[in-house]
Amino acid sequence: MRLELVAHTPNVETMIATSMLTTTSGAQPGTLYDRLLNKPGKVKEIVGRAEVQHGNILEHNCLVWLLEATDGEVLEAALDTSFLKFTRLDENLWLLSGNLRTVVEYAQRKKTPLTDALAASAKNVAPDIRFLEEEER
Amino acid sequence: MLKEKFPTLGWRRLLPHLSYTFAVEKVSRACSHQLVRHRVASFSQQSQRYITVKRLKERVVTPPTVDDMDAFRGLVMEASDAYQTLVDAGVPKEDARFVLPNATETSLLMTMTGSALFHFYGLRCCNRAQWEIRGLADAMLAQCRDAEPELFDNAGPYCYMLGYCPEGRFTCGGMEEAVERYTPGGRG
Repeated sequence: MRLELVAHTPNVETMIATSMLTTTSGAQPGTLYDRLLNKPGKVKEIVGRAEVQHGNILEHNCLVWLLEATDGEVLEAALDTSFLKFTRLDENLWLLSGNLRTVVEYAQRKKTPLTDALAASAKNVAPDIRFLEEEER
Repeated sequence: MLKEKFPTLGWRRLLPHLSYTFAVEKVSRACSHQLVRHRVASFSQQSQRYITVKRLKERVVTPPTVDDMDAFRGLVMEASDAYQTLVDAGVPKEDARFVLPNATETSLLMTMTGSALFHFYGLRCCNRAQWEIRGLADAMLAQCRDAEPELFDNAGPYCYMLGYCPEGRFTCGGMEEAVERYTPGGRG
């Protein structure tokens, strides 16, 4: 099994912070996003308060990977979670995508080479999301 | 971006892996109720449990078909007064909001895959869709066409995408006009 991140939504943590503030503040989401774009310290502080129970805040993004895996490995992952999307590119080559909530919940529920690789990859995109830390899984 | 990395992969196979996030602002709660029926999507909406609704009369969406503005405004004012009375009396916002009308403005973040978005446009750009969500769908489609014309020039109501109207006996009978309206370079 080999996993390579090939694309992801830009400013993932800014979007998470925007989502968190949208639900609890009277400001417009577009305004919040624009305000937070150049405030990485504020974004870090806000996403540090995130609770995974409110999973929808982790859904406004998409990560896309190239996955080298056998049919059996893909079938296992597809049966484990219905929120990962697979497209076969070649015999053992797949395009795989999902959002952070899917990665976090799957990695917390099951430890496999794939979930380890997904969590490590997502950590590069959203370094301040503590649910991706080894001790939180 | 994904298309550039996988130029030989057709748009249709890429659609499930594409993601679009919109800041939907100042729509009515009636509109957001329709939005959340699109289940293959993610929503983060302003919460009436946490956000106090202030100046309700300035923050309602008024349907263009409402002729009797006095009656409409009067009911909004009554709801506003009742809501404020309840909040002032210590009733939690999550309970006081029960008197708020569907016209109350709301804003949300909404994320859909490319596949879900095509289905959304198929249904909500249709002449039979309700005016507010149809206006929203048209505005979203215009932004998508600006961003990715090669893909989204193919999106619109189902009659435009399929070449026939799937609404059966409920058809609006205006397919020709709708197809022309959504054809790039058409009447817009």
